[in-house]
Amino acid sequence: MPDLATPARAVPALAIEALTYTYPNAPQPALRDVSLRLSPGELVVLAGRSACGKSTLLRAACGLVPHFHGGEIDGRVEVAGIDALATGPGELAAVVGYVAQDPETQVVSTTVAAEIELPLEMRGDPPSSRARAVEEVALALAIPHLLDRAVDTLSGGELQRVALAAALVTRPRLVLLDEPTSQLDPVAGDELIWLLRRLNEEWGVTILLAEHRLERCLAAADRVVAMSSGLIAFDGDPRDFLTWAQDADTALETPAARLFSLCGLEPLPVGVRDARRTLASANPVPPEQSREEGVRPLSITTLTSSDLWVELASGEIPRDVLKSIDLEVKSGERVALMGRNGAGKSTLLRTAAGLVDPVRGRVEAPGGMALLSQNPSDYLVRERVGDELPGDAGMSALRVVGMEHAVDADPRDLSGGERQRLALAIALAGRMEGEELPGLVALDEPTRGMDRARKDDLVQLIGELADRGAGVLVATHDVEFAAAFAGRVVLLGDGVVIADGPADEILAGGWYFATEVARVLDLPRVITPEQGAAALTNNAVALLSAIRQEVRHQGLPSSKQPDDVALPPAMRKQVRPQGAGEEG
Amino acid sequence: MRSPFAYTPRQGPLQAASPAAAVVYLGSLAAVAFAYSSPVVLLAAGVALVIAGRLAGAHAAVRAALWMGLTLALLIVAVNALVVGRGETVLARLGEWPLFGRVDVTAEAIAAGAVIGLRAAVVMVAFAVYSACVDPDRVLRALRPFAGRSALTATLVSRLVPVAAADAARLRDAARLRGPGAAPVGRPPLARRLLAGSLDRAVDVAATLELRGYSLAAPDTARGGVIGRRAGVRRSRYDRRFYAVGAIVLAAAIAGKALGADAFAEYPAVEVGVGQATLTLSALLVLSGLAPWRPKGRRA
Repeated sequence: MPDLATPARAVPALAIEALTYTYPNAPQPALRDVSLRLSPGELVVLAGRSACGKSTLLRAACGLVPHFHGGEIDGRVEVAGIDALATGPGELAAVVGYVAQDPETQVVSTTVAAEIELPLEMRGDPPSSRARAVEEVALALAIPHLLDRAVDTLSGGELQRVALAAALVTRPRLVLLDEPTSQLDPVAGDELIWLLRRLNEEWGVTILLAEHRLERCLAAADRVVAMSSGLIAFDGDPRDFLTWAQDADTALETPAARLFSLCGLEPLPVGVRDARRTLASANPVPPEQSREEGVRPLSITTLTSSDLWVELASGEIPRDVLKSIDLEVKSGERVALMGRNGAGKSTLLRTAAGLVDPVRGRVEAPGGMALLSQNPSDYLVRERVGDELPGDAGMSALRVVGMEHAVDADPRDLSGGERQRLALAIALAGRMEGEELPGLVALDEPTRGMDRARKDDLVQLIGELADRGAGVLVATHDVEFAAAFAGRVVLLGDGVVIADGPADEILAGGWYFATEVARVLDLPRVITPEQGAAALTNNAVALLSAIRQEVRHQGLPSSKQPDDVALPPAMRKQVRPQGAGEEG
Repeated sequence: MRSPFAYTPRQGPLQAASPAAAVVYLGSLAAVAFAYSSPVVLLAAGVALVIAGRLAGAHAAVRAALWMGLTLALLIVAVNALVVGRGETVLARLGEWPLFGRVDVTAEAIAAGAVIGLRAAVVMVAFAVYSACVDPDRVLRALRPFAGRSALTATLVSRLVPVAAADAARLRDAARLRGPGAAPVGRPPLARRLLAGSLDRAVDVAATLELRGYSLAAPDTARGGVIGRRAGVRRSRYDRRFYAVGAIVLAAAIAGKALGADAFAEYPAVEVGVGQATLTLSALLVLSGLAPWRPKGRRA
């Protein structure tokens, strides 16, 4: 038997040739003629919309496809020189680690130490080396304090780290991660990405990372591979990827790249530092008014909580999850409830919906409340949409979410976004008077695993709900999503409200809970690419000067001279006279 | 909130015992419940399991299982009383019912239903004590020689209950969040959804197990270490006790069958045998519930 754990360094970490794969009973292939080669030590981001084949590609690289899932496969997959189609995932475990999207399905043991040690035990490592490896990987991931904890007492972020530790403990050559930050707050998400970069640089681990929130990881990547409909649509460096996405699929643009696109600036930035460097002397002017001001009169209170305390058992010990929360939401308001994992966001929503009893204080939703919890599929128990929502009340709810056309469909045949809308309709049904919504509509982490196109649809739906008079309260980790829909942000920290104000103030004033555009421009009330573009357009002259200096400084190729830097028509009008003088 | 059936590590003989020893012990009492119809014997097996569960510290699991089991037993009694019209002692004549026809509620049908319900409750308590006291990690490792090529089988055996318990809590919450205009969830659709969802998630967990190398040939050297010390394949000094008690219970049950300890007839009139064999077997069963007992001050 070959030595699986020590293949030669020169061998590619992953080599896929002409891979076509179809899941059992699927009408069409999930992967079509995919060829990909990853060199040892690369950090590659796998981009693409939902259901484009990213997860299937990762599963093929770790042997789950076809060995676990079955189906028809054609082509070649080699991991560190080992034929993955001839070898099962167990044998490949020596050279490849895999971290899936849902951390709850990635733990098979009851304690953290047992979970991390399992792969080593399975391959027969002696006890002394197992103990050392567990200790070292726990230190590397900053989780030694968790080793004796039961896995069912861990938060989502902690579970994700444990899953990563179990994937890394065998010191694999290749680590595959499928949207590992989708359940993490911005702080934990950023920490995870930079942790991967450190492992990549210090341990030489090759990393293939599928991710929707590209603004988080592009700056750390060596290369980006974009997929579309089972094909590889782009393969190149991050800056070229952004240029490609500008034309091919704007849903894959990062906010900073979108900002530059709107201003007609090039080259597109791959991260905050890159963008700030380009705009260092631009001195943009912020808009004068907060976005929410003057939008609509707010009158009716749809949620009120005063001195709300909630205690939950964490393992054997009860702890205060919410501490003296005072909060009001008015009709028509769109409120983002943000904070770190475990800050109390979901508990606040669950308490308001009556699922949890407070130990002190009160919370009321006078006009009624509909809550959509984190997993919409939990609401779907029947095989026909019409059976879930019978009668006029059901049809009214379906109309509100734009799903009346699907009354005869099987919920399992609906897309992820449609299932979410259907679940919301189930929560709304009977709580409306005619077509009038309940006072408060609350959504708990509705964007898990969503691509930007689906998020845009959800932003539109939230806008429609608010326009119809409902207060909308959304617990989310997704800063960019919050910037897109919210007029107000409530930031929780360890069960306490630590900030409450207009979205374009809260999301512009911090580091972690700030949008990428806010971090690039660092201006009050500028959080979206559109606001950023407006601010930049207000001072285009200084901007052009800054860009020219920067381009000279970076020494771009002669084909990209400073004078070629593109500006949008609106900016050109302001720039041309002075720009000509400057050239002269 | 944790499920009452979730495994909780404790310092007790039943937790320290190997999964095989625990299965032999608890399985022998469950086997008696399947094999016997005498309510005296069934009650004794149930009492033994409650004692065993409480001695092992699984109070919440026993309480939850009793609650669920007795609710189920009442349901079975009601259905049996309406569906079965046999028996001499008619308690109520309810006339003609659609689908059921003529409905006479008899004491014998109620007694027969109670025996079936009691049997179900005893098995549920046995399963609850197993789930709360036997470490799934050790079950997973114990199964490796038999299910090494099928992580899915191993996952279904060792993880389905914890996964289903977590899913059930979520589904219950979602059911409470449904608007009053949505169709009521109902138990059958919820049970179907729970089973399908739990199986789906168990498949995902099985995939993870494959990736951890579970299907590799089990190495001889894999003994001890962190897992070995905490939850691994070690044996316990209590194993012999549980094997012995399980064997005695099974042997006594077989002998009891031969000696007429299962003397019970539902129809045409209820007859419950309380002969010496029945009483002796019942006493033995109750005593077997003391197997997880540990003198104070001694560590498992």
